Order: sequence, then structure tokens, then C-alpha cells
Amino acid sequence: MNVIEVNNLTKYYGKSRGIIDVSFDVEEGEVFGFIGPNGAGKSTTIRTLLSLIYPTSGSAKIFGKDCIKYGPEIKKDIGYLPSEVFYYDNMKVIDLLKYSASFYKKDCSNRIKELSEMMDLDLNKRIDDLSYGNRKKVGIVQGLLHEPKLLILDEPTSGLDPLMQQRFFNLLREENKKGVTILFSSHILSEVQKLCNRVAIIKEGRIISLEKISTLRENSYKRVMIEVNSPVKGEYFSIDGVSNLEMKDNTISFLFKGDINLIMKKIAEINISDVTIEEPSLEEIFMHYYTRG
Amino acid sequence: MNVFLHELKSYRKSTIVWAISIALMTIFFLSLYPSFSSNASLVKKILEGYPEPVRKAFGISIDDITNFLGFYSYVFSYVVLCGAIQAMNYGISAISKEIKLKTADFLMTKPVRRDEILTSKLFASLISLIITDIIYLVTAFITAESVAKESFNIKLFFMISVTLFFVEVIFMSIGVLISAVVGKIKSTISLSLGVVFTFYIIGMLQATLNDKTMKYITPFKYFDAGYIIKNSSYDMTFVIIFLFIVIVSILLSYVFFFKRDIYAV
Repeated sequence: MNVIEVNNLTKYYGKSRGIIDVSFDVEEGEVFGFIGPNGAGKSTTIRTLLSLIYPTSGSAKIFGKDCIKYGPEIKKDIGYLPSEVFYYDNMKVIDLLKYSASFYKKDCSNRIKELSEMMDLDLNKRIDDLSYGNRKKVGIVQGLLHEPKLLILDEPTSGLDPLMQQRFFNLLREENKKGVTILFSSHILSEVQKLCNRVAIIKEGRIISLEKISTLRENSYKRVMIEVNSPVKGEYFSIDGVSNLEMKDNTISFLFKGDINLIMKKIAEINISDVTIEEPSLEEIFMHYYTRG
Repeated sequence: MNVFLHELKSYRKSTIVWAISIALMTIFFLSLYPSFSSNASLVKKILEGYPEPVRKAFGISIDDITNFLGFYSYVFSYVVLCGAIQAMNYGISAISKEIKLKTADFLMTKPVRRDEILTSKLFASLISLIITDIIYLVTAFITAESVAKESFNIKLFFMISVTLFFVEVIFMSIGVLISAVVGKIKSTISLSLGVVFTFYIIGMLQATLNDKTMKYITPFKYFDAGYIIKNSSYDMTFVIIFLFIVIVSILLSYVFFFKRDIYAV
């Protein structure tokens, strides 16, 4: 079953582009990555899903229901964490969380306690006394306290220190194990790599690729780094499957996709002092999409 | 209900401050009445020294100012001015506050309809205004009883006093409409002062020029105390205009707020 279905969603802000013809599905229980540089349209898509903004054309369904028409109803089961959190400054953390909980018709007090202990959050402080990172923690607790079936995270990790980020990711994994579907938007690819099953890549308002993380990796991209004893001509490695070729002094590095034997033969023919062949980070793979699209 | 209570709580401080300020102002002005009435002829002479347009602009009527209700209507016009500013503030901030403080994302990703949000906010503003008005009314009545030597018509006193609420409702509705259309408003107080004083000055001009059509433009003239004292009733034409403005503004506010895109921060 699809938890999110986005069909040809288009949004223009006046004449300027928001998103164009965005379509993708998120299956139940999936962690779905939504990747793109700043200004690509990630937030626009997410804000439309949450009916904060209205699409110019196209539609989206969450839990099989139109996200605009049934907005309030489907939001009962959605937890949302924006990249920047803003709350009523003069409230105490606990009062804000209680206010947040009061929108859902269930008792959330245990969950509030549990989550804030996990995230190391002081409930008795006033919101305006909190640091950026602590505010973010309020956001996390606030987004999870009603045990939503779908989590929508818009660049959620900014402002969290590595330890908290770790805890937050563990929390997300736990939720996912319980069956919670997660839409995770980010421009930091390594964090998506850790969590997600599939990713959609958005650039300049359009989805340019939608793939499984495992396929992306299995696409047998290899990062090759070679140190040579004597300089090699630039064209030597300019064969099919080589990209991002860089030569600097005696160091040559590139990405390779294709028959690994071919490149091994190439390397064997020259005099080298060191060679490293490794899995490229997703970042490097995506740079193709980012730069060339 | 939760949004309503939250809003009411957020208006608590401001309601207390407004109520106390208006009450103190009323006590101060009304306590001047005994010296006014005991020196009636002297006061009249002084006032005659002012040019007529000035007297008219400030709503001073020489014949009436030395009887209690006349004096009270004069003081009351300033109370209405304050009430209008308070109401306009509440109206404007209903929507613009959430957008300015960037809390709209929080509120509007909750399972609550936009019209429920607006209704809760309007009711919270109304209740805050009603509380302010009750405090005013009680204070004004007690003060009036103690300063007025002669007996005055209590029915008329209340008929005049409750128009404070009517004027407030108009300004609140206009405020909500402005914030529903404009969205983000940087300075609530300067906008509400601007709008309220514009209407107030139109009211002064109207009084000076005695222009009948201008009367329709400014809510400050819809419930004219002079008319109420004379006829023991409200001018029905203006009651209808009042209802029309309030209903149309509120309905349009819902329409605009429903259609509004809540932009990313």
C-alpha cells in the first residue's frame, strides 16, 4: 500500500517556479529519502503534502486520501519536523508539548516523558531560553508524541550535535521498525544513505531520478585512486565508464562504472606505487545529477 | 477549544493592561465632573472662547457638557478610541501573529481545520474585549454614581456605554480582514494606530463640516451619543451598516485565510 502518492504536482509562486510535475509514491513502512540542493523544491513538495500551500495543479494523496480535501483528518497520523522550528516563545517546553498533544485525542503524557528523556530535554525551561539545538529537540518530541503513522522530516538534523543526531536516527529506526513510514528530506546525502530504502532526487523543481539506495550502490560505481611512479597521459584513462577524472601530480582519481576487469587491465599496464578501489559515497554519485542533471 | 483557550491565555496580560488603563482614564476624567458642573457658567464661558470648528471636532457641545450624560459622552469618545485600538490589535494579530512569529507551521500542521483556528481566535478576541468592557462598564458606573450630583438616566448611560463593544467589533473585523489579506504584518500596533486614527480624524472632520455622507465612512459616528440621548434609541440605518460591515469582513476573512499559502520561513 502507498502511504504517499504524489501525482504531477506543480506549484508556481506567482511566476516563479516551486515544483514542476513532481510524482512519486512512498510505500508503507518505507524510509523514503528526498534529496536535492537548496531551493530545488523539497520544502514546496512537503508543504503541499501538509496543505500549508495549495498546488497550482496536480494532486497528492496521503493514506489514500486527498491531502488538501482531507488535510485535517490525515494530519492526525502525521508527525512533522521542519528544518527550523519556531514556537510560542513565552511558553514552557512542557506547556507547548501539552498544547501540541491537545490536538490529538489521546493521552500523550507518557510518550512526552519517554521522548524527552531520550532526547535529554529539560521540560521546565521557557522556549525562548533554549538554544537552537534544544529547540530542535522540542521539535522532535513534538513531532513524535502522538505516535504518528507517517513522519515527514524536512532537513531535520540541522542544529543537532553528532550524539543527538545518532540518538535521533536510532529513534527513527525504532519507529520504522514499528511500521512508521518516513519521508526524509535532506541535502546531506550521507544521512539519507544511513536510513533510507529509496530516494528521489529533485533538482530545479523536477524529480530527476528515483532509485533504490541498494541499486544506486550496486550500479557498481567504484572510486579508483591511483598513485603512479611516472606521469601518465590524460587520455589514458579516458575510456567508457570513467567519470570525474582528476589528475594531480602523480595522483589520479576517477569514478568507474562498468566491467571491472577492463579497468584492472588498464591499471596493470602502468607502473603504479599505490591503488585504492572503494565504494563511492552517494554524494559522489549524486554529483552527476546535481551538476549535469 | 484548545486553540481558543491558548489564545485567551495569550491575550490575558494585554486584556488586563487595557482594562486597567481604560478604567483609570475613565475614573480620572469623570472625577473632573463635579468641578465642571458646579462652575457651569464659567465653563461655558471658557468653551465659548474656543472657535466653533474646534469645539465641534472634539465633540464638545456647550449646552450638554455641563449635564452628566453630555459630559459622559465627551469622555466616552476617548474610551471608544482606546477600545478601537485594542480591538484592531486583536483583529490584526489573529492571523498575522502566527505568520510573523513563524508559529503558523506548528499550528497548521495539526489536525485542525483553518476555519476552526480562525473561529477560536475570533472568539478569544471577543471574550477578551467583553472582559475589558465589563471592567470598564462597572468602573464607569460606580464612578458615575459617585460623581454625578443630579440623577441621570441609567438606561441611556448603558445604551451609550455598550456601543463601545459595537465599535470594537467593527474594528476587530476590519483588523482580521486586513491580516487575512496581507498575511505578514511587521508592526501590528503602528498599523492599528494608523487605521484607527484615520477613521477618528475622519470623524472629527465630519463633526466640523457636519457632512452627512462622511458619517457613513467612520465607525466612530455610527453610534452617536447625541442621537441616543435625544431619541433613546440607536439609529437603525447605522445599526444595519454596522452589521453589514462586520458580517462581510468576517466572511471575507475566512475566504482569504482559507486560500492563503503559508510560506516557508
